[in-house]
Amino acid sequence: MLARAKRSIDYRDLLYNLVVRDLKVRYKHSVLGFFWSLLNPVLLMLVFTFVFQQLLGSENNPTHPMYHVFFLVALLPWNWCASAVTGTLGSIVNSGYLIKKVYFPREMLPVSVVLANMINFLLALPALLLFMVILRPEGSGNPFGSDCQFACFNFHLLWVPLLILTETIFLMGLGFFISALNVFFRDTSVLVEVGLSAWFFLTPIIYDAKDVAHDLANVMYYLNPMAGLVANFREVFYYNDAASPDPFFMLRNLIVCTALLVGGYFFFMRLSRNFGEEI
Amino acid sequence: MARTSKESVRAASSPTLPNGTEKEVATVAGPPNSGRPGQLVQQATARSPQAKAKVVKFSNVSKKFTLHHERPNSFQDMVVSLFGLRSPSRLGKAMPRPANEQFWALKDVNFGIYQGEAVGIIGENGSGKSTTLKLISRILDPTSGSVSVRGKVSALLELGTGFHPELTGRENIFLNGSLLGIPRKEMAQRYEDIVDFAELQEFIDTPIKHYSSGMVMRLGFAVAINVDPDILLTDEVLAVGDEAFQRKCLDYIAALRKRGVTIIFVSHALDAVRGLCQRAIWLDHGKVVADGPAGDVIDQYLVFENEKHADRIRDEYEARKNGIAVPGDIRSSVTIQKPTQEDLEDQGHTVDETSEEAQREELSPEFRFAYDAPGTHWTSGQARITDVKFMNADGVDTKTFLTGEPFTIRIFYSTGERIENPVFGIALYSSQNGVHLNGPNTRFAGLDIPFIEGTGHVDYHIDELPLLAGMYDVTVAMTGADIAETLDHQHRAYNFYVQPTPGMAERWGLINIPAEWSFHPDAAK
Repeated sequence: MLARAKRSIDYRDLLYNLVVRDLKVRYKHSVLGFFWSLLNPVLLMLVFTFVFQQLLGSENNPTHPMYHVFFLVALLPWNWCASAVTGTLGSIVNSGYLIKKVYFPREMLPVSVVLANMINFLLALPALLLFMVILRPEGSGNPFGSDCQFACFNFHLLWVPLLILTETIFLMGLGFFISALNVFFRDTSVLVEVGLSAWFFLTPIIYDAKDVAHDLANVMYYLNPMAGLVANFREVFYYNDAASPDPFFMLRNLIVCTALLVGGYFFFMRLSRNFGEEI
Repeated sequence: MARTSKESVRAASSPTLPNGTEKEVATVAGPPNSGRPGQLVQQATARSPQAKAKVVKFSNVSKKFTLHHERPNSFQDMVVSLFGLRSPSRLGKAMPRPANEQFWALKDVNFGIYQGEAVGIIGENGSGKSTTLKLISRILDPTSGSVSVRGKVSALLELGTGFHPELTGRENIFLNGSLLGIPRKEMAQRYEDIVDFAELQEFIDTPIKHYSSGMVMRLGFAVAINVDPDILLTDEVLAVGDEAFQRKCLDYIAALRKRGVTIIFVSHALDAVRGLCQRAIWLDHGKVVADGPAGDVIDQYLVFENEKHADRIRDEYEARKNGIAVPGDIRSSVTIQKPTQEDLEDQGHTVDETSEEAQREELSPEFRFAYDAPGTHWTSGQARITDVKFMNADGVDTKTFLTGEPFTIRIFYSTGERIENPVFGIALYSSQNGVHLNGPNTRFAGLDIPFIEGTGHVDYHIDELPLLAGMYDVTVAMTGADIAETLDHQHRAYNFYVQPTPGMAERWGLINIPAEWSFHPDAAK
């Protein structure tokens, strides 16, 4: 275990290069380059805001104020999750040409995908912060002031690094499982792709976690760490009033995700012995 | 290098690994199925520099592959196999599900490679060579036993595999270096050398996808050897680029060797192994058959291969003689494109092949002869060569000879009519490369044959066979008084083998020319 960790340190430059490769290749041929990672969620945000505020929203059925921020703050971590899951899924299988020819720590492949998507997520965050400032309706207060009711810049934002860490750990753990499974059962990828769209709706992204019936919400949080994460992101960025995020809840989520990572790592290491002949 | 001390030992979880049981001399008597007892017992370690450290050690290494004939690689298949359902064959009948076949690519292999050695691994396809390389490079894990490798391994297996087409040469150099575990800083120091070696200065900031395949290979080679490996693994990839680049690569490998880099070379090109390696390990069916000085092991391997080959040729020959078509034998179903003038002019000649009846059916209007298709046979029908025998000093009919032995080719003829002043000739060819060695005939030699009638034979005798180890083809021909009037011509239809000869100092090329070397230094000032 320690030797492995040391070896991983020897290969840290590989991780760096793989992440850079991922990002470079992604934006190589598009005119807008990395702005797509901003534009994509913004366009989605516009669509959903239109649907919920204009089509569905009415006097009797008020939507959340500043729905675009409400939505975007959940969409960004979700997008990170969805693209990392899709990316890690094929990370081993698509690198068969490397795995059969060169030895290197195979775990670098899914890890690099998660990190590249994390960087994408971080690059999209400024857009969210910008919208929090400029797209405020009349009377919602100064985002930096004490009269601010939601989507405020205050000390709650200090929780953000912890949430990012938790999501990174979660996605790596999941990535270890699915990337290794996909080597042996290629229909893992089909299942995961179908699962992703179900997962989107089972995670409080277009709706509020607070609207979920209390007993069901608990089940949701237990089975779906993304639900807890998305709810926390929303609390930190959107509902950031004094009552918001529960540190114990965040800690619990972190522990669950860490357990998943440890399990995924051992699962992956066990299966990776046979990658060379199974791909 | 600080990294050289890094050692990795991978042992399979099997409990069969008592320390000290591994054999140093990995020589097994005779290859399986050969029926020959191992004649040459090599001492693997005798030549090895004992003072140096073992950098690669295989201890009772076995590697099992499961050949999935019908592998449940989707959940559907798994469910189907769970319920014992069978996939129907084309006839609609249930087919028995083939069991997964297990295949031992390596079985109880032991050897050690010392630092600075250049070792060739030889053997037929499927003998376990590539598996061995992959175990050393850690791409595969052993099923049982342990593989320990000390130092940084760089593999020249399929060059340029780590390259991403969208990235530039420069970016790929760093990516490839990091795949080999080289820190970025170290890579930056080597960057210039790599670019210089690959001769790609102008293209280094162009995406790899615009490179020619030769450029990609050059870059791959340059990275692989410039990362300062402790152990360099290579297979047939040395055939990259143009001749000049190849020479550069070989020179560089020689330089690495001098620097103490261990080189492990897997190849079918036995001459390359002979030239590059001082030691060879011969694998057959996953076992070490011989391990020792490269020249000796290769000779032993050649004897074995020739012997095996000889059996097959002999069987085919017998079958042909008995009129049985050998499946897949090109010689019994000649389809020839190149018409020759001589043949077109010679309308009177009939085609003779293994069985004339079979031949008639195969004959198409386009059927033409080519002089250079081995096995081509044509005859006028007046007289024919019925058999050819190769005989050694004792007059024994054999197919294998040693360099320097007396050698006789006996040509049997049969004719229904009296033929005046016939000429018999032969021609020798190297089977490997088709080089035409000679083409003597009775007329040039001044042997006057007044006439032939009925049957008889003509001998061509060499006192000391000058040919070196290898396989040789023989053309036999008989003409009338006019050499252009072919009576029977069997082009490269017979063959024999020359085995590596103990004590024979020469081993390259085709012939042994008795000669002397002498040394004459100029007087010192």
